[in-house]
Amino acid sequence: MATAISVNGVSMEYKTPKGTTHVLDNVSYEVQDGHFVSIVGPSGVGKTTLLRLLTGLARPTAGEILVRGKKISSSPDDLAVVLQDYTRSLMPWLNVEKNIALPLKNQNLSKAERKERIKASLAEVGLEGAESKYPWQLSGGMQQRVSIARALAVRPSILVMDEPFASVDAQTRFDLEDLVLKVRDDFGITTLMVTHDIDEAVYLSDEIVVLHGKPAKVRDVVKVDIPFPRSQMETRNDQRFAELRTQVYGMVRGLE
Amino acid sequence: MSGKPLRIPAGLVSAVVALLIWQIATTWGPLAGSSVPTATSTLAELWNMLFMSETWDSIWQTIQMALYGFLIAVAIAIPVGILIGLSRFAFISTKFTFDFFKVIPPIVIIPITILVFGPTLQMGVFLVVFAIVFALAIQTAYGVRDADPVLIETMRCYGMGKTKQVLYARLPAASPYIAIGIRISVSAAMIVAVVAGLVGGAPGLGHDLLLTETNGQNSATFAIVLILGILGLAVSRLVVFLQRRFIFWTAS
Repeated sequence: MATAISVNGVSMEYKTPKGTTHVLDNVSYEVQDGHFVSIVGPSGVGKTTLLRLLTGLARPTAGEILVRGKKISSSPDDLAVVLQDYTRSLMPWLNVEKNIALPLKNQNLSKAERKERIKASLAEVGLEGAESKYPWQLSGGMQQRVSIARALAVRPSILVMDEPFASVDAQTRFDLEDLVLKVRDDFGITTLMVTHDIDEAVYLSDEIVVLHGKPAKVRDVVKVDIPFPRSQMETRNDQRFAELRTQVYGMVRGLE
Repeated sequence: MSGKPLRIPAGLVSAVVALLIWQIATTWGPLAGSSVPTATSTLAELWNMLFMSETWDSIWQTIQMALYGFLIAVAIAIPVGILIGLSRFAFISTKFTFDFFKVIPPIVIIPITILVFGPTLQMGVFLVVFAIVFALAIQTAYGVRDADPVLIETMRCYGMGKTKQVLYARLPAASPYIAIGIRISVSAAMIVAVVAGLVGGAPGLGHDLLLTETNGQNSATFAIVLILGILGLAVSRLVVFLQRRFIFWTAS
């Protein structure tokens, strides 16, 4: 299996008036093509910083990040993002169709192709016919579905999600998790997700990267050997699920 | 009586009451016999004036000064405001100067503008521009800076450059700020267009106000004030209507 993303010895420091904050220290990791990888760790450990580096929004102080063997200097072309704060990452002045269409302007698509993509993406997330709605006319869960549809519409090879389900209620959260599993099944997109929810990480991932320490290092990489397809009812009651979450929980807490 | 109840707009009722109080005060009240004309004589004068082409010329001149000044100010302030808002350095370094000019009342520069332009329409237009361009530019810059960083980063992740960020995120995000600026500017433009005539001798209703007052035509003076009130009300209603129409997402 080919390597989609390699993180090689990445360190990150911020200069503040009070001195230098060392956030990440020599973080290395490889994500295989088509894998779903979660990044977990105690709050404030630098998960979001790592994500900013992966999306090309910030540059590491040391080390490099390669996407399919090419060092990134800005946001990679075939990258899509889903952020926690859907109200802030969707545009209230554009309807759903136009929100999804905006990133597509970078691709040379005909009008008909664009419409088709938008329609298909909305169908994938279960929001058929919502094109003309405005984000603020939709519930939180539906807005996050629009964010996911926007991500899918660009046909990305890499999907990056930052706490994507942290701002929705528990029931919606389960629905969205299963939606992500379905998307993964349908498209096999390499996905990186930052989350503070260990159960969610175990439920969705092939691998879990645990960050720990100040500055943060890769504490461990846990392979989630629970077969797909997974389901909320069965997987979460699985013996292996319980073992893995306990193990990861211990690592995040620094107990092991 | 059957059928629909009478729906008299509340505003109209209060206007009638105000006119009644005015009439009583100037007929039997403390203002009786003073230089304040009665409501009826003012309204009669207003009615006469509506059939004089000079009145409409004056109205049009005042509107022209306000409108041209406003349009020129918008054409300057919005691009300048966007550019200033995009750069932290430009924002900080221009803020002091712009704030300084913003607080100078346009009336104090009238002597200079008379020297440069004479008592003309251009002078009025210049004063209007001066009165609103700085505040509007600052307001635009604030709005542009206020665009949500999460939204901007999302756009960057999707490979959208600065131009698209301005067009699709920063400008719409700034538009409620710009709208407030425009609402204030429109009223200021009308006021300054009148002041330009009243103090600076520029043509229009302001100038008429000065003439009628000097000639002791009190009913005419008050009739002009009524015209100005109606004009101002209509303009601000129009602006609010346009704002609701174009900035629909902030209401809910």
